[in-house]
Amino acid sequence: MINTLSNDELIEMIAQEVLKQLNAKGGNEIPQREKSCENKTCSGTTSGKMELLNKGEAAVGKRSDEVVVAIGPAFGISQTKTIIDIPHDEVLREVLAGIEEEGISARVIRVLHTSDVAFISHTAAKLSGSGIGIGIQSKGTTVIHQKDLEPLNNLELFPQAPLIDLETYRAIGKNAAKYAKGESPDPVPVRNDQMARPRYQAKAAVLHIKETEHVVPNAKPVEIQVVFK
Amino acid sequence: MKLIAGVDIGNSTTEVAIADIEKELNFLSSSIVRTTGIKGTVENVVGVYNALKEACSNIKVDISQLHAICINEATPVIGDVAMETITQTVITESTMIGHNPDTPGGLGLGIGRTIFIDEIDYVSSTEEVICVIPKSVDFETAARRLNLAFKKGIKVQGAIVQGDDGVLISNRLERKIPIVDEVTHIDRIPMGMVSAVEVAAPGETIKVLSNPYGLATIFNLTPEETKHIIPISRALIGNRSAVVIRTPEGEVKERVIPAGKIILYGTGEKRVAIEEGSEKIIKALKEVWPLKDASGEPGTNVGGMMERVRQVMSELTGQSQGDIKIQDILPVDTFVPQRVQGGLAGEFALENAVALAAMVKTNKLPMENIAAKLQKETGVKVIIGGVEANMAVLGALTTPGTAKPLVILDLGGGSTDSAYINRDGAVKSIHHAGAGEMVTMLINSELGLEDYNLAEEIKKYPMARVESLFNIRYEDGTVCFFQQPLPSNLFARNVVVKGEEMIPIPTRHSLEKIKTIRREAKRKVFITNVIRALEDVAPFNNIRGIEFVVLVGGSALDFEIPEMISDELSRYGIVCGRGNIRGALGPRNAVATGLVISYYNSLRSSKNE
Repeated sequence: MINTLSNDELIEMIAQEVLKQLNAKGGNEIPQREKSCENKTCSGTTSGKMELLNKGEAAVGKRSDEVVVAIGPAFGISQTKTIIDIPHDEVLREVLAGIEEEGISARVIRVLHTSDVAFISHTAAKLSGSGIGIGIQSKGTTVIHQKDLEPLNNLELFPQAPLIDLETYRAIGKNAAKYAKGESPDPVPVRNDQMARPRYQAKAAVLHIKETEHVVPNAKPVEIQVVFK
Repeated sequence: MKLIAGVDIGNSTTEVAIADIEKELNFLSSSIVRTTGIKGTVENVVGVYNALKEACSNIKVDISQLHAICINEATPVIGDVAMETITQTVITESTMIGHNPDTPGGLGLGIGRTIFIDEIDYVSSTEEVICVIPKSVDFETAARRLNLAFKKGIKVQGAIVQGDDGVLISNRLERKIPIVDEVTHIDRIPMGMVSAVEVAAPGETIKVLSNPYGLATIFNLTPEETKHIIPISRALIGNRSAVVIRTPEGEVKERVIPAGKIILYGTGEKRVAIEEGSEKIIKALKEVWPLKDASGEPGTNVGGMMERVRQVMSELTGQSQGDIKIQDILPVDTFVPQRVQGGLAGEFALENAVALAAMVKTNKLPMENIAAKLQKETGVKVIIGGVEANMAVLGALTTPGTAKPLVILDLGGGSTDSAYINRDGAVKSIHHAGAGEMVTMLINSELGLEDYNLAEEIKKYPMARVESLFNIRYEDGTVCFFQQPLPSNLFARNVVVKGEEMIPIPTRHSLEKIKTIRREAKRKVFITNVIRALEDVAPFNNIRGIEFVVLVGGSALDFEIPEMISDELSRYGIVCGRGNIRGALGPRNAVATGLVISYYNSLRSSKNE
């Protein structure tokens, strides 16, 4: 196995991530999030050019022309960019733009009870009026899901977060909207890079563990109003 | 028990019929397997052996207990197909963007001078402009700038966008203007030229730019110039959105590719250019009929195509290329989706093409070799008996409700064979090029599939649309529900329903479109050939002299071809339908059955003497 990182570099990287995490714990981001969720107030978080306002428990949609986009527990709060440093506000903006371009309306929710992208996206699909949902993990991994499928099945899966760029996020939104319209889109081309795994494995693990720490067991998904500044 | 086996080696299947002829003709068993190797070669023996074994095991006897095996004198007819594109659409100087993005923005018609978005602030407010927006400009920025321009009183009439942002920009504008997006090569658009952008409402098509007089009105064209823009308006018919830019030299041309001439040798010699289309070729073919040989002009596309056919045939039969004579051709007009040359948005145009099926008759297939090898392997006497057509007629006559005189049409994979038997039992037979394989080729190219196997499945089985994971709607409208969810790769797709299996069709064509193409391909090949065949074998070449037509062969098993042919022939007052050999086997096993009957008849007549 060719590894572009030496062991020393890898250890240093993990140590840095852990330190960053410790610093973050010292800050007031997490208590703020917890407060907002427990009290179900409309307080929100700001991330880049985007503000995420909590609007209380997410309900099952009745409109068949909607796609629900679910974000992970830490998305835009304690983590604000994907594994390759794409800011979360840009990610969400492109996904929503892709849906809008197809003439479909989008609804954003935050899933708190799991950090597994399969279940995040399946929750979105079950709450979606069209039965189509998108789930986005904070590190960037994304799935397009349909409500009648098994959670670990999916319509389209983008497993290698380091290879998803903004153009792909736009295409993901677009394809989800097309499924909602009953069209048969060609699946978004998925890039593959063997080196992505060894290069990003450590970082991906840390990001995922960090997100999992924010999981609130049995919490209901929260409706989110997204305001772009 | 005196068991006789009839064996028919076909292009794709080997069929066996076994009968006990001790007291009278009594059919006991039959079987069907895939032909091994090319028809007429010793590789066939493996398939024959397997078919015999299967048929024997049905009645629990051993092959060695057979009294005799009759194999047919296979007609050495092999068909091949090829295709040649004959037109090409060329756009010069970026005059037209006729492409159909899924989601154009806004609505209506806008006319103005093309201008780059960065220069929009410097335009005088009296001038009408069309704004050109590259991908590097974000949709929010673009919308903000356009709104600002509106405020300043600049008359922005429409926009041409590189990214897929049409609806996004339109949703953020204070005024609705037509926006065409997904124009890939936006850098090639000439600036400062008069252009028109039109977007129609959903479900409608553009009305002004697809009308030559509409274009003439917009660009102030003279009657002479209007004549030249007809290709542009024609190319835009049926689109939801379009852009036309007027440049001094720009035009759209439909160029005919000289594909060469086909040379037909028969009662005389005829030369027809391929690009004249199938109708002309068929007419020429009729004039020189019967065809002795055909070739293409050397050094042209069609020349290469005919040589290819000849080469394939000579490899199969082991004869020199000079001995291979093309005995029939079937030209069919078709179309192929091809990328437009010089197009700005990667547009596709349906170009005309001619598909050719050619049929070759070799002098004789080495059936003796097959017979000798089979005899050695089974230890049973092997008899080569009867002409294939005569055997097929004998077999077809076992269909209940038939009587002499009768025509059988053997719809195979490579060729359409027909035979006529009159009241006295005299048989006249003929072979025509073009059958199942040609249909598959047409479906493959017209849908742009590039997947021969999928095209074959589309030809053979009905289609359905997966409406949800729990139900599908067949092409005829019936719905089928499922208790278990279907696999996710079928979701929202058109599928071919092959028994229990469903195969997704990866194109954006609607179910209706695929169905139309499939039916048209079958009609073009089989209806044409059936009429040709009947005209040739009918008494006095008059179709109305025929009363019964029995369809046999693989393509007669198709779910719609027999109905199509019946429907067509009912106009001539002919009873036509799928054969039902021995009242039980459907259109299969005609030749094998005929072989046994023929052997039985010959035994009985020799006994009577």
